[in-house]
Amino acid sequence: MGGWNLSGDGDGISSPAPLPSLKYMVRNGSFRAMLTGGKSFVSSPPAFSSDGKRLLVCTGNTVSVFCTKTGIQITELKGHTTSVTSVIVVPSSTPASKVLCYCWTSSLDGTICYWDFSLPELVRKVDVHLPVFSMIIPNVLGIAVEGKKKQPNLFAFISVKDTTRPDVLNKALHGKILKCNLTKSSQAGGVLSETRHPEFITGSISGEYFGIRNKRKIHVWKINANGSKYDVKKIKLHHTKNLSVLAFHPTQRIIAAGDVTGRILIWRGFGNKSFSENGGPVNGKAVKIEEERAGVRGDDDAESCSTWHWHPAEVKVLFFSSDGAYLYSGGKEGVLVVWQLDTGNKKFLPRIGAPLLYFVDSPDPTLCSISCADNQIHLLKTSSMEILKSISGIKLPCSLPAINDGLRCGFFFDCAAGLVAIPTEAYSVQFYSLLEDREVSQVQICERNHQAPDDVTIVVTLLALSEDGLKLSTVDTKLSEEGIGGLVCLKFWDYGSRRGQFTLSTIIYEPHSDARISAIAFHPICDMVVSSSYSGDFKIWVRSVNMQQKDRESSKPGWRCHSVGSYKRKSMTAAAFSADGSVLAVAAETVITLWDPEQNVFVAVIGETTSCIETLSFVGKSEYLLAVSRGSKAQLSVWSMSKLSISWSYQLLAEAVTCSRDGSRFAVLVLLPESGRRMNRSEKTTIQVGDGVIVLFNVEDPVPVATWSVKKAKGGGISFLQADPSLIDENFSDEKSPSEMLVYLSGDHEYILFDPYSKEDSTISWNCRKSRAPLEETGNSGYAAIYAELPEIPSERHQIESAPYLPSEKPWETIFSGSSHVLPPLTKLCSVFLESLLEKLPTAQD
Amino acid sequence: MADERITTFPVKPKLKPNSKKLSSTPESKYWRSFKTQKISNQNNPITTFPITSIEFSPISPHYFAATFSASVTLYSSQTFDPISKISSFSDFAYSATFRSDGKLLAAGGESGIVQIFDIKTQEKKEIKSRSSIRKLKGHTRPVHVVRYPSFDKLHLFSGGDDALVKFWDVASETQVMEFHGHKDYVRSGCASPISSDMFATGSYDHTVNVWDSRVASRESVIKFDHGHPIEDVVFLPSGSLIATAGGNSVKIWDVISGGKLVCTMDSHVKTVTSICVGRGGSGNSNREEFESDKSRLLSVSLDGFMKVFDYSTLKVTHSMRFPLPLLSIAFSPDCSTRVIGTSNGVLYAGKRLKKSTVEDNKLDQWSFGSANEPQKRVLRPSNFRYFQRGQSEKPSEEDYVVKRSKKVKTAEHDKLLRKFRHKEALVSALNVKNPATVVAVMEELVARKKLLKCVENLDIKEFGVLLEFLHKYSTMPIYSGFLIALAKRVLQLRTEDVRSSDVLMGHARNLKRSIEEEIRIQQSLQEIHGIVSPLLRIAGRR
Repeated sequence: MGGWNLSGDGDGISSPAPLPSLKYMVRNGSFRAMLTGGKSFVSSPPAFSSDGKRLLVCTGNTVSVFCTKTGIQITELKGHTTSVTSVIVVPSSTPASKVLCYCWTSSLDGTICYWDFSLPELVRKVDVHLPVFSMIIPNVLGIAVEGKKKQPNLFAFISVKDTTRPDVLNKALHGKILKCNLTKSSQAGGVLSETRHPEFITGSISGEYFGIRNKRKIHVWKINANGSKYDVKKIKLHHTKNLSVLAFHPTQRIIAAGDVTGRILIWRGFGNKSFSENGGPVNGKAVKIEEERAGVRGDDDAESCSTWHWHPAEVKVLFFSSDGAYLYSGGKEGVLVVWQLDTGNKKFLPRIGAPLLYFVDSPDPTLCSISCADNQIHLLKTSSMEILKSISGIKLPCSLPAINDGLRCGFFFDCAAGLVAIPTEAYSVQFYSLLEDREVSQVQICERNHQAPDDVTIVVTLLALSEDGLKLSTVDTKLSEEGIGGLVCLKFWDYGSRRGQFTLSTIIYEPHSDARISAIAFHPICDMVVSSSYSGDFKIWVRSVNMQQKDRESSKPGWRCHSVGSYKRKSMTAAAFSADGSVLAVAAETVITLWDPEQNVFVAVIGETTSCIETLSFVGKSEYLLAVSRGSKAQLSVWSMSKLSISWSYQLLAEAVTCSRDGSRFAVLVLLPESGRRMNRSEKTTIQVGDGVIVLFNVEDPVPVATWSVKKAKGGGISFLQADPSLIDENFSDEKSPSEMLVYLSGDHEYILFDPYSKEDSTISWNCRKSRAPLEETGNSGYAAIYAELPEIPSERHQIESAPYLPSEKPWETIFSGSSHVLPPLTKLCSVFLESLLEKLPTAQD
Repeated sequence: MADERITTFPVKPKLKPNSKKLSSTPESKYWRSFKTQKISNQNNPITTFPITSIEFSPISPHYFAATFSASVTLYSSQTFDPISKISSFSDFAYSATFRSDGKLLAAGGESGIVQIFDIKTQEKKEIKSRSSIRKLKGHTRPVHVVRYPSFDKLHLFSGGDDALVKFWDVASETQVMEFHGHKDYVRSGCASPISSDMFATGSYDHTVNVWDSRVASRESVIKFDHGHPIEDVVFLPSGSLIATAGGNSVKIWDVISGGKLVCTMDSHVKTVTSICVGRGGSGNSNREEFESDKSRLLSVSLDGFMKVFDYSTLKVTHSMRFPLPLLSIAFSPDCSTRVIGTSNGVLYAGKRLKKSTVEDNKLDQWSFGSANEPQKRVLRPSNFRYFQRGQSEKPSEEDYVVKRSKKVKTAEHDKLLRKFRHKEALVSALNVKNPATVVAVMEELVARKKLLKCVENLDIKEFGVLLEFLHKYSTMPIYSGFLIALAKRVLQLRTEDVRSSDVLMGHARNLKRSIEEEIRIQQSLQEIHGIVSPLLRIAGRR
């Protein structure tokens, strides 16, 4: 069994059956996912609907439709089985057809789907059998023309990954550009190009050209529209640096490309020779052009090439405005630059706060959107360059290289409220509601502006929430520059005015002189926090009210150091309070020390593990303590507090542990070691590095209760959540609602909620999703849109007129009600109706 | 949401813990509200004489008389200007004191004669009336204490270095009584605030005697021993307590219970020279004020401290340091002025700004404005105010106020940091000379990993400024952790530049000196720590 070794007196875990996606959680052969979420919004560019009121965003296996006015999700297109890679909205040719909501999507599952996203409904499905990484449909309008009897064939160009070819020397060309007939669902023509990896296809708005970048070259194809069969011509443009992105001018033959060093190249008049109708100019002319061509490399087919350089790092975004006068560019530094194409003058939208990934403009000329690497989509007003609305998903894990093991920023679950707190790259903490699958708030931990993340020097390293979720404690670490100016800050936050809002209460600079803090934990009942440091001491902090000035207005309560403790000068690596708060357990490298937190009295020391303990956790209200040590001799051990001895232990690499609040169960997220691959060779699926298993234990019994296999467990986390019964659909009231749920947050911050105890396969549907579909905002139109609504002026004339009438019984309301065959004939009714009107007049005039 | 996103964070210095002492109680705020100004009033600045006594006139406008050299000077308590100077003394004058109606002033002197002056004529500065109106001759030695009884306008008592206390009838210039009981110089005295017949004197024989002019035996009614030569005696406003100053201590005695010691204040480190009673300010409706009816004992000492002692709670509530030995103190009856005299002729006069006076001024202005009303002209575009008219208009209740967005002030270094001009930002912060800001900018540069690059790029002059800064602040405890490491690195980086320039060498030498000094301090602190820690451990064991 190698390193995947389960010691202990149980019979061990039966080998888990790994499945391809997070979606499928295996529980003794069956799976049930209650709720999933935390999808990335920025895996591929979004698309606006043809009226500009909706934004279609690829979110994992689905396409989410957001309202651009409110920024709230309206609906979801479900049908693909793996990630959706592109979405193309069928534009409207006439104003009347603006209400039509059709779109094409492509996915890695090898299908291309045609949707009506207003309903939402899957209309057609085209299978191409190869994972589609990118797709453009040059003449997408073709299908929308309903008037013609015979529809022209609709073609799409797709970038696919073909893994059928054997991977020799790791040099096989997997990426292919294909042409696909969507009407007949068949491949049309041969392979246009082959690249090492599948590339992103960029098409021009006019539908004439499309291109890809390939290392230092750009491949541009022209689509000849005449004739039913597409004739495609190809040219290449060269550069000296690796290119990253390209864009086509909407009307002219201009192509812009960004490279990895931050330069923007603009080729004007590309393909004059190759793409011209009459096969190419006379020789003498060509020589003339040859002389004039400025900056064009080699014998590339372009008139001129100019270079703009502002971006300090790779250009990620290039986009021409719809009128072609401006070029938008952006990159890692998080600044959107607007270039005037003729002059090269710049305008900036700075401090967006994250690297930019995509820029998409809408049919509505005042609206465009930028997608940022921090899983946010900002909707911009084009004219004033201001952010109107932000659609934010769960923050993605920090993309920084692991500088130090100590700087691993974990997340923290608020079990009662169903929130997860995630440290972000922009020195803040995001509170994300797991049940509602949306951001609750962001708390800025360090007052610093966002910087391009090539040199991250300040990291939020630790965070902890109190049991009631009303107090937050964070640790941020500033790395020193050659030994100068390193700083550790411990901060305490109070609950603010809104949900998930926190205000700073106390800052403690260098709480353990210059040593790093290994753990912080809140006391479950009173205002007490323990912080342990690698320098060999732990401190207990209490919130103090100034006692001296009791009679006067009490000064702001701050946090103060209550006591300091240390054990043999060993570095303190983990700390935890027991459920009732009477015992504080602090791990001093390999031993566990127990303290009385109130009196700061050393109580006992227990056991010795093989390597440094990194996590300590009391199992609910039971008498057991869980210790996790990682490294080469990873160990999960359960200690009995009554016997002060080890109860049982496993030799496994636990990424995260969680203990149920009241019960005596706990769950461990176990990282599978490398050798797990060998073990599972017999089965068809292989385990990739970073996959893991969730194992549910009963604390008294080393035999696991249940196991689930999950993907991307590295950097993931699990937690028990207290189930809120109000969120469960009433239709399922007959079923016993689960008291606790387990949430698994993967390394990519996608999460899944499920009931770890239930045996049935039925899935409880959650009404929190359903209630989220909002009513679309009824926008004002015409006069009201410009001048706002008129106040209601009661017309006097009407009042005078109505004066003679007495309030009538309105008999027609009852006369006309009922089905038609019950009602008396209309001739009878009419006279009664008129009478009822007339009768009242004489009585009023009396 | 959009607004939140675009906000930028300026570079902020680290927060400092605000110590509980500084977060002042209303009382210490009150005592600090006396804006102290220094009056070095003597015409001849070369010979400076100690100011032996100060007393306020009991009636408004509360002039105060300061006695020094061979003269008594009257000052206005509003402007602190000298009003008049009585210099008809042949030798040193002592203990100028006002009568209860403030019309007469009496002073003793080195010559042993007590002289009475008329204030009114002194105010008018009539040359003729500079001389005294009465002279009481009887003491054979210098008279250091002269006091009027509280309500009695006809008598006064005096005490001299001949250890005698005499009770005089002023009008007839005759001695009514003579009290025996002291065995040394009588240097202080005070009349009882509740009785015209009772008064107390303190002597260098360590005793205080309370006398009653109605007792024919001429012996003291109460006598108590302070333990040190007594410098000052004061009846507290109730009349039942006496405060005495002598040696390093101030003691309070209960007169009614026959001279029982109530409490002792030992917070001075040198001889307490003078005490007086101060009260909380009246007429101010400020809520933060401590109650105006509470009286405190103010004491000054040769150690340069003025302390405010709350004798009801037995606590020193405020303490203030002056650079000179202090000899005398007086607190005006309207609680607006406090004057302290020093040993070399400097007066520290402190005055409180009163809100009532501001209101008075307002009233004045208003009446002034109304008088000028008819002259108000119609504004024309030629007038600058024409363009500002209506700007100060207050919105009425139903008006919707469109708020102007607040202009964000950005410091220059912030602007430069935003433009990534790191070196300029550092230089601009160094030129502002606020150490907290400089360190904050440096820390920001560290966060951008640009600090050492900046230091390398500084030219010689700017580098000199940096070295000067390091010399000044690298030993300050709040910055030292950061700056010492920086100083070391900076000197390593630019050794060549420092060697080549004399100015920089000078700065480096200064830096070295301050660090050596700091090392010495640290060593001696460690020694002290070594001494104290075993003691603490022993104390902890018990």
